[in-house]
Amino acid sequence: MTREEMESKDNETLKDKITGMKRTYPSIQSVLMPALYAVEQSYGWLSQDAIQEVSNHTGVPAAEIKGVATFYSMYRHEPMGRHLVQLCTNVSCLIAGVEDLVKFLDKKYGLLPGGTTKDGRLSLCLMECIGACGNPPAMLVDGDAYDNLTCEAIEQILEKYE
Amino acid sequence: MITLTINDREVSVYGTATILEAAASVGIKIPTLCYFKGLDSFGGCRMCLVEIERVPRLQTACTVRVTEGMVVRTESEAITAARRAMLEFLLINHPLDCPVCDKAGECDLQDLVAIYGAHEGRFLEGKRTHPENFNDPFIVRNMDRCILCTRCTRMCDGPQGAYAIAVTGRGSHSFIEPFSGGRYNCEYCGNCLTVCPVGAIMSRLHRHSYRPWYVEREVETVCGFCGVGCTMVLQMRGGSIIRTMPYVGEGAVTGSYGSAGSAAPAQGLNKGLLCVRGRFGYDYLENNERLETPLIRKKGILEPVTWDEALSYVASGLKDVKAVHGAKSIGAIASGRCTNEDNYMLQKLMRFVIGTNNIDSSARFYYSPAQSYLERIFGHGVTANLIPGIANADGVLVAGGDPTAINPILGLQVRALWRKRGKIIVVGTPSGLRRFVNYEIKPHPYLEEAVLGAIVTRLAAKKGFRGENDNIEKYIKATAMPGEQLLKKANVSKEIVDQAAEDLAMMKSAVVIIGPELMERPGASKNLFLVSAIAYLTDARIFLLSERPNYQGVIDMGCAPDILPGGRPIEADVLQHKIKDADVADHKIPEHKIKDTAWTKAPVRKGLNLFAMIEAALEGNLKALYVMGENPVFNFPDRRKIENALSKVDFLIVHDIFMTETARRADVVLPAAAWTEKDGTFTNLERRLQRVRSGIPTMPGRGSVSYHRGGGADKRPEWKTLAGIGRLMGMKENYLTSSDVWEEVSRVSTLHAGLSYDRIAGGNTIWPYGSEPFRGVEGEFEVEAPGMPPAMDDGKIYLLQERQLYHSGSITRKSKALMSISCEAHVLLNAGFAERCGLKDGDKVIVTTETGSLTLPVKTDREIPENVAYVPNNFDNVSPLGIIGYTVDGYLGSISLSGNVVTITKADGPSDAAAGEGYGDKKE
Ligand code: SF4
Ligand code: SF4
Ligand code: SF4
Ligand code: FES
Ligand code: FES
Repeated sequence: MTREEMESKDNETLKDKITGMKRTYPSIQSVLMPALYAVEQSYGWLSQDAIQEVSNHTGVPAAEIKGVATFYSMYRHEPMGRHLVQLCTNVSCLIAGVEDLVKFLDKKYGLLPGGTTKDGRLSLCLMECIGACGNPPAMLVDGDAYDNLTCEAIEQILEKYE
Repeated sequence: MITLTINDREVSVYGTATILEAAASVGIKIPTLCYFKGLDSFGGCRMCLVEIERVPRLQTACTVRVTEGMVVRTESEAITAARRAMLEFLLINHPLDCPVCDKAGECDLQDLVAIYGAHEGRFLEGKRTHPENFNDPFIVRNMDRCILCTRCTRMCDGPQGAYAIAVTGRGSHSFIEPFSGGRYNCEYCGNCLTVCPVGAIMSRLHRHSYRPWYVEREVETVCGFCGVGCTMVLQMRGGSIIRTMPYVGEGAVTGSYGSAGSAAPAQGLNKGLLCVRGRFGYDYLENNERLETPLIRKKGILEPVTWDEALSYVASGLKDVKAVHGAKSIGAIASGRCTNEDNYMLQKLMRFVIGTNNIDSSARFYYSPAQSYLERIFGHGVTANLIPGIANADGVLVAGGDPTAINPILGLQVRALWRKRGKIIVVGTPSGLRRFVNYEIKPHPYLEEAVLGAIVTRLAAKKGFRGENDNIEKYIKATAMPGEQLLKKANVSKEIVDQAAEDLAMMKSAVVIIGPELMERPGASKNLFLVSAIAYLTDARIFLLSERPNYQGVIDMGCAPDILPGGRPIEADVLQHKIKDADVADHKIPEHKIKDTAWTKAPVRKGLNLFAMIEAALEGNLKALYVMGENPVFNFPDRRKIENALSKVDFLIVHDIFMTETARRADVVLPAAAWTEKDGTFTNLERRLQRVRSGIPTMPGRGSVSYHRGGGADKRPEWKTLAGIGRLMGMKENYLTSSDVWEEVSRVSTLHAGLSYDRIAGGNTIWPYGSEPFRGVEGEFEVEAPGMPPAMDDGKIYLLQERQLYHSGSITRKSKALMSISCEAHVLLNAGFAERCGLKDGDKVIVTTETGSLTLPVKTDREIPENVAYVPNNFDNVSPLGIIGYTVDGYLGSISLSGNVVTITKADGPSDAAAGEGYGDKKE
């Protein structure tokens, strides 16, 4: 399969996905947020093309969708690495020493908060509380949750994410 | 009615009014920032806070509706303090850069801070910053000045319906952005610029070139780009236009209208809106290629001469032709861009001075034949309906072109109808109405007839006949239901046709909008009849789109071979057998008199129409042709034929503002005045008479004062030049001003009887202007026998003219502004089709017809049908019309394009569109 074929195939499934959402949500506006997540997954971030695609499939004007997308900080508004590390730095995790972990990520991978590794493998985003205060420090990698973190544990975990 | 008290005054208003509106109705002004008349209320700026008795907190007057017995106070210390606080909040981020801001002097924020303070800020934190954004050719954004009132987005998503901009980001960091973040790529109506209360979005066209208080004169006139006839204001300085605006009411320079609960409503049928052409297209008027002096061809070269020399040359030339070949060998082409006065005078020169009825205009292509056909079915004035009424209907059928591109402000009314939950049915590609239709009916061009026929038969079955018009009912009954095979070929499903018929049948107050494309096809009369049938069955109001500002005026001024000013048929006497055929030799029989004013008579037999004049020229029978404000070489189909015809005309006079392709072939070229440079009247597509006013002072001694280019040259209106020629040929009347000409029109034409400029000034002079319209032609129309629709061969591509929103004929190619947003011709192809041919956007292709070819970049569009190639006829060197032929429809007398089957092949060389040969440099 050529790259183009892959892309267009991908877009077909995206179209199906979003069309499917239209049936489960009460209004076209309410489809926007899940649709944005869907294109974000396929494009890696909410690029102009990604937003345009949501507009094509929903009929909502692209400028309006961009307005919605930029209102929320949880969408990716810049290109990111293949995997997103979301590390909590709120009270509980702070007390448990998350600062050391931040330093470790920089030393080990050259990964700074808000940045991406040179090989494009990992991006780091510092988070407010992610609701895992019982076993701090905690993080999310692409949606998988990890807690009781140490530098060694992080190294081991991240190995799994190619 | 509800009665309340505002500042101790009793006020009675309807219950739907807000406090702000109630206050405005008695002249109490409440300050506002986010409110704008005509936009949905937002209640975001809190400037309009007022006290309401027994309500604990201050309330926003722009959102709270009145209730019985309400007691309101609009000024108090607490209110003033609150307003000052709100302004201080705005100034936290608003830069204090009034000295370099173009808005200063007409800025709502500046004005309010001057009244309420705060004169000193308490915030030491840095301000939010945004770099000035110059990515767009028209609109510059200074988002650090934005106060987030959302007036612009409410305009764009509301009345304009373009949905091009949105509030982007969050909180105090948000700002307004088009989707691209840079260029707007929108409809460029500029209506967002009208409503922005501060200097956050502004026009680049006059950036830093003046201050609002530099405006010396404001002239209310009517836009000269299309048949809508929007009211606009020219802001002048030193004989130059520095800005055009929609009507802004009193004190436009210093106060922005529409805000602050202004009592003065935005006037004109466009209600304060303009489209891209009206707002940004004016700079072509000061293009330095404008013709300034008359030119006479001497030894093959056009040489500048004085006006006196030119006029006597034309007069003696015409006299000579008449003496040798007779008046019948002289003809004229009038102009839908010229005023009624200009056209009347051309008609008078031809008919009553020279003695020929050979006069016509490009209204003959579709506008006048369609109108006369509709009038024969429904009676006179059937197309005289008011544009602002469209939004009050409950449904509309559009056929034959996109109203949002051809007549944009009329198109906005259709969008407004949709916002009021009206139904919109478009037969054809909806284009600008794409977001406003529930389903698409996109027949292959040339097969509209099948779909319209199917709708008519179903609609007739549903609605039945009301016996009002036997003639049309007879024909409707004879309309056969097109077979499923045919519908299939047209690519429209039976269900969609049923749905459309169902929706039409439900309409209680319907509107039918008819565009030019419907008539450009073989079998035009059948299409027009079927649309008329729908209009009859739904009892709809009919609108006929008009690409020129004054096609209607051209007809009403008698610039047609068979009618006199006011619409009286030339051959009425002949038809009524008052004249024996044997007597019909010119001047032997009772003559048509233009009452008592004309010194001579017009021939009794009708003259040659546009097409017949071209044929006569080809046969060598048309010896002299006067072309006013028209460019047949470029704007008419079949360029080779037209050039051939013109080359056989011995004496060609072209009266225009630019050295057009036609002017370059002329024997005499006379410079004309543009629509902003003369006084007169236009008659729009509603048949509303409106005053056109010159922006240039005509007082002696003033006309030559010029700070800018464009103020100095002698901008002599066409009627004046024509009258000069007439007088040299023996005409007795002398006219000093355009109102003298109009005064004669109002005496000569029964339709315009008693209409003075003063009466027209209000803009409410609506057909039939209080007169008795000429009657007696209804009921005589023919319907082409239904049969197979014209050949639409599978797999063939038909070349059609794309009618662009950003352009108007061939004059806007002289507008640098409009060229900066749409600078190059292209061929618009269906995206799927292009893909199958291995073509993508920007690829160069050669589009070839039997008679010529064009090399153009491809632009793809998912919406348009597969078997068409659209090319705009608005760019230098690219005239798709020029390479296709035409025939004349036997029933309508309109133009049908022929020979427009094209082949499309990939090209290697540069495209014609980019060839960039400045026209006008070409030597004969
Ligand atoms: S110019 Fe018109 S279409 Fe463009 S953003 Fe402004 S209001 Fe919208
Ligand atoms: S750009 Fe102007 S109109 Fe739009 S929100 Fe900002 S201040 Fe208001
Ligand atoms: S709609 Fe027509 S008349 Fe109105 S501004 Fe646009 S071009 Fe001018
Ligand atoms: S503070 Fe880190 S998970 Fe709640
Ligand atoms: S809140 Fe009423 S004008 Fe802004």
